Amino acid sequence: MALSLLARNIPKLRGFAALPRCTFRIQKAQNFTQLVVSKNTNSLSLANKCKIQFVNVGQQAKRNMSGDHGKIWTIEKIISFLLLGLVPATFLYPNNILDNAFAVACVLHFHWGLEACVIDYARPIVVGPILSKIAIALLYVVSATTLGALIYFNQTQIGIGCALRDFWSITGTAADNQKSAK
Amino acid sequence: MSLIFRLAGPGSRLGPQILRQNCTRMLNAVRPVTMKCEPAVPDKNESHDERNMRIGRPQSPHLSIYKPQLTALLSITHRATGMALSAYVIALGYSAVSLQLPLDHYIEQLKLMQIGAGPVFALKFLVAFPLSYHFFNGIRHLLWDTARFLSIKEVYATGYAMLAVSTVGAIVLSGMS
Repeated sequence: MALSLLARNIPKLRGFAALPRCTFRIQKAQNFTQLVVSKNTNSLSLANKCKIQFVNVGQQAKRNMSGDHGKIWTIEKIISFLLLGLVPATFLYPNNILDNAFAVACVLHFHWGLEACVIDYARPIVVGPILSKIAIALLYVVSATTLGALIYFNQTQIGIGCALRDFWSITGTAADNQKSAK
Repeated sequence: MSLIFRLAGPGSRLGPQILRQNCTRMLNAVRPVTMKCEPAVPDKNESHDERNMRIGRPQSPHLSIYKPQLTALLSITHRATGMALSAYVIALGYSAVSLQLPLDHYIEQLKLMQIGAGPVFALKFLVAFPLSYHFFNGIRHLLWDTARFLSIKEVYATGYAMLAVSTVGAIVLSGMS
């Protein structure tokens, strides 16, 4: 009886035996995990019987990340790199163009940075679905108004660079008054 | 069959006897199983959190169960300094439009108050440290993004170097006038 059982299951067992010979190969360029049957396996292998041989890894990756971030990522890095030069330049040579460039780059940079923080910390599972949406919306409002305010400041007042220089020129001692009296 | 023998006990002479006694019972326990290939059921396109919310899973402990390490501390400090700098920029923008007088008037007022070299140094340090930390650690992050200094050893080395450079930089900046 047992023999007949085994005999009946031989084709299936052969299928099982073929399984370890199948390898999951992740091909980065394609974004697909492909179930590749290695050579010298018979056509009875499970892999060949499967109708769907492709599993979309791109779809799975989406579950771990919040949306497609690939394109913005490059721009973020470029802005970050620009800021490495813009911050000292604005402080050393304050002028209207640098002030405005600083304002735009800085606001973009902190917007993306804070957005990452809000997405990470104000998650629906932590603060509730409504509050997390409010937090994101609030961030957009704050970033936009800050950009407007900074450009207004640059156009109508001394500008960011000069303001920083003025603040930095304070020594807190009597020497300040002699300088400002000039 | 050989499987059943093995179950009865390896190298045991009793094997066949047990088998004889329990043969029918064991065979009753064996159940024929048919396997077939089916298209995989696609996963629900939901995030880790969404799945946990749907299932009603509680949050597992995270921060409290890890030993504080330089890597994690530098990383969270990078965020903290970034947040502080954002707050300064937002405050600068909002105060520029909301204050009654131009901003330079208030800077002048602060100058006239002569609060002393120490407090001024502290004030400047509050701006300079986040700035220099975020600046130098930002360079470190950008280097990582170009696939450099990514081994654990290098991560620690650049971490300590960045910490030294940014601290010295902050002190020098705060002392300037």
